[in-house]
Amino acid sequence: MTGNNRNRSITDISPGDVLHTIAMPITLQRLVMEAGANRDLSLIHHDREVAQKTGASDTYANTFFLMGMFERLMREWMGSTGCICKLGPMKMMAFNVVGDTVNFGGEVISVQAESGRVELMLTAHTEKGLTAGCEAIIELPQS
Amino acid sequence: MTGWGKIGTWEDTQAFLGKVIKISHGADAVEMGSIRRWLEPKEFDSPIHTDAQAAKAAGYKGVVAPATMAFTYGIPPYWQPGDESFKFGDEPCQIPIPVIFDVPAPCSLSFATSVEIEFFEPMLIGDRLSCSHKLTDITRKSLSVGKGAFLTQEDTYRNQRSEIVAIAKLVIFRFNPPDKKENDGQQ
Repeated sequence: MTGNNRNRSITDISPGDVLHTIAMPITLQRLVMEAGANRDLSLIHHDREVAQKTGASDTYANTFFLMGMFERLMREWMGSTGCICKLGPMKMMAFNVVGDTVNFGGEVISVQAESGRVELMLTAHTEKGLTAGCEAIIELPQS
Repeated sequence: MTGWGKIGTWEDTQAFLGKVIKISHGADAVEMGSIRRWLEPKEFDSPIHTDAQAAKAAGYKGVVAPATMAFTYGIPPYWQPGDESFKFGDEPCQIPIPVIFDVPAPCSLSFATSVEIEFFEPMLIGDRLSCSHKLTDITRKSLSVGKGAFLTQEDTYRNQRSEIVAIAKLVIFRFNPPDKKENDGQQ
């Protein structure tokens, strides 16, 4: 299991802490599995010809996949006892297309010890640069 | 980017502001199979989504669906008994986005610019979601891709007990490319 999946508490973390990185190779097969599973069946996410007509170089990952990968990243990092309160706003800057390896990572922006709330900034990068940025708020137990 | 959407005038668009555009009913109840298939392409390994004991140890009543699966469990069926059969030449299935397909605007293209979602009640096995879609903002704007407007859709996901599971905000830019004049629906 990546990111060690141990249960973190609010006292374990500080602003500036960096989350682990998940490198995810995007294949057409993965996008097809994803579309079937998340029910976003728009053609741009599994049909190369249609995706290219919209200006993308190839079929590209959908919003639900990116948000789900950010959820995986946070879940692995905080363990089972933390809660995800909010994800977003997520800004999408570039397509994550077949053939790209998307690197999902993040950083702790602020920590509120009393409420247990933590602000994170999450990012998706490919070799072309930043493709998505997403703010997030999680809540961690006191101990 | 999509090449279709409901066409009308900006006055038609304005008439929907602050109103519930549509209420959707998710096709499937929360269950282990759809959770597993959702985890699979993301190689997502967390016991609270697969193991009841682990979920209970983390404070849940039982296996809990991943939070962002609210989007998935809110999507209505693409076909259901009573619907017409699909024929070649029909518009392909498209994820239903009410501010594109149910709100009229004098625009031929659209893309999503921002999405956010806040979570409340967890989704447990057997839960069924419905989603109420409201148009909360219209901001006219000219961008390099063309002239149009940002439309903000607020989606409230509720379970069968009417508890709020999530509230999402989706911003869609609907526009016409520069060579096609904004025509307030007079085409």
